[in-house]
Amino acid sequence: MEIKEFFNEAGETARFAGRFFKELFSPPFELKEVVKQSYEIGYRSLPLVGVTAFIIGLVITLQSRPTLVEFGAEAWLPKMVGLSLIREIGPVITALICAGKVGSGIGAELGSMKVTEQIDAMEVSGTNPFKYIVVTRILSTTLMIPVLVILGDAIALYGSYLAVKIHGSVSLTLYFKQVFEVLQFSDVIPAFIKSFFFGFVIGVIGCYKGYNSQKGTEGVGRSANSAVVVSSLLVFIVDLIAVQITQFFGFL
Amino acid sequence: MMIPAIDKNQGNKEQPYGEAVIEVLHLKKSFGDNAVLTDFNLTVRKGENIVVLGKSGCGKSVLIKCIVGLIPYDGGSLKVFGKEISDLPQQDLDELRATIGFVFQSSALYDSMTVRENLEFALRRHGKHKSQTEIKCLVEETLNDVGLLNTINLMPSELSGGMRKRIGLARSLILKPAIMLYDEPTTGLDPITAKEIVSVMLMLQKKYNTSSIIISHDMYCTQKIANRVCMLIDGINYADGSFNELKTHTDSNIHAFFE
Repeated sequence: MEIKEFFNEAGETARFAGRFFKELFSPPFELKEVVKQSYEIGYRSLPLVGVTAFIIGLVITLQSRPTLVEFGAEAWLPKMVGLSLIREIGPVITALICAGKVGSGIGAELGSMKVTEQIDAMEVSGTNPFKYIVVTRILSTTLMIPVLVILGDAIALYGSYLAVKIHGSVSLTLYFKQVFEVLQFSDVIPAFIKSFFFGFVIGVIGCYKGYNSQKGTEGVGRSANSAVVVSSLLVFIVDLIAVQITQFFGFL
Repeated sequence: MMIPAIDKNQGNKEQPYGEAVIEVLHLKKSFGDNAVLTDFNLTVRKGENIVVLGKSGCGKSVLIKCIVGLIPYDGGSLKVFGKEISDLPQQDLDELRATIGFVFQSSALYDSMTVRENLEFALRRHGKHKSQTEIKCLVEETLNDVGLLNTINLMPSELSGGMRKRIGLARSLILKPAIMLYDEPTTGLDPITAKEIVSVMLMLQKKYNTSSIIISHDMYCTQKIANRVCMLIDGINYADGSFNELKTHTDSNIHAFFE
């Protein structure tokens, strides 16, 4: 029974995502709402993403340094940390933070709109609530998560630079030169592309859970919670698939 | 024992109102094993105000949600302005919905928008030929009609229950609908505010010449507004007639509502 429910849910989610693409290219285009949601999702998530990225960059560098010193490879520190952050840690950590903050927010907001009949009210006024509420949010998460990933990576690298500087004098230019020496487009592009998929997954799951919320306020809580759980899990699954595809095309 | 409806409003009897705007014939709707509408019939004519009475959970709200296409029905026929709701493609349904105002029991105001934005929401999507000034004037006029022009920049969370109902009413009227559907408009309000809402409804009905279906348990509201009262019992139109006709009816199922 649970397996059947799982596949039902997966099918419904896929259909929901399909409807997003269908509605995305048909007028009217709710550009004002996309800008508003992008501001909410992107700009308002930046402090959390920034602080977390800074700490992650700092801590990874501090933790990795003793081992590299032991092997006399301290000079490799910027390269190693830079590669790890940009290829994997930056996108995944940013996506997970956004799954928690943005995914739960969307799930709770839409769930609340559903149980208070606001979505029905839009529908009976002859407007398309899916287009106004769902398409705009999924589009915003898909566009904003990659931007947050880029900014998060830059802040994490700065945190890493500060950690290196604690133990020796190294200029910011030299540090970043060392990082970019080892970085190639084949490192940056796959990481950047997969962050679009992370954003899409977070948007779709948050909206799907909220839009189909039931059973009053309890249902709203459940929607917010399952939006975080499912989208976090899907971020890892997408990451795994992305790594396989990257490897297939010889980028690893 | 089921009794025949007092006035089905579908016979040869001369009608004081205009043409039929809503025709419900043998409507059926079930939720799993729970059949809420089994064979429901009702005709609403232009300018008519019909109050639907019935026990909680008997399918009154389901009926008006079927009319507006929010809930698909299982069988029978439901025509609004002669168009079968279940046959309409989405675009035509949206156009039809713009001619129907729906007032929710909970008001269902968009809580992330101000009162002005709540009213403008549908107007901007349906009245694209309207200029910014026209939209502004229309919003202010409608808010003035419900006596709440001073709340135009407030958020729904800053409004009282009665104010929310009135804003919900104004939002439904902004597109100048020909039909109004009210889902328990006075439920949860104190008697004074409920009377105010009833007066506003009557005034607006006169001004905009709408036909209405009102779901209510409020006898004051029913008596003041209804041209005709319809009793929804066991999924059928058990009886309908004027308020006084039903009030003096001897059938115990009907009489129970008027005690």
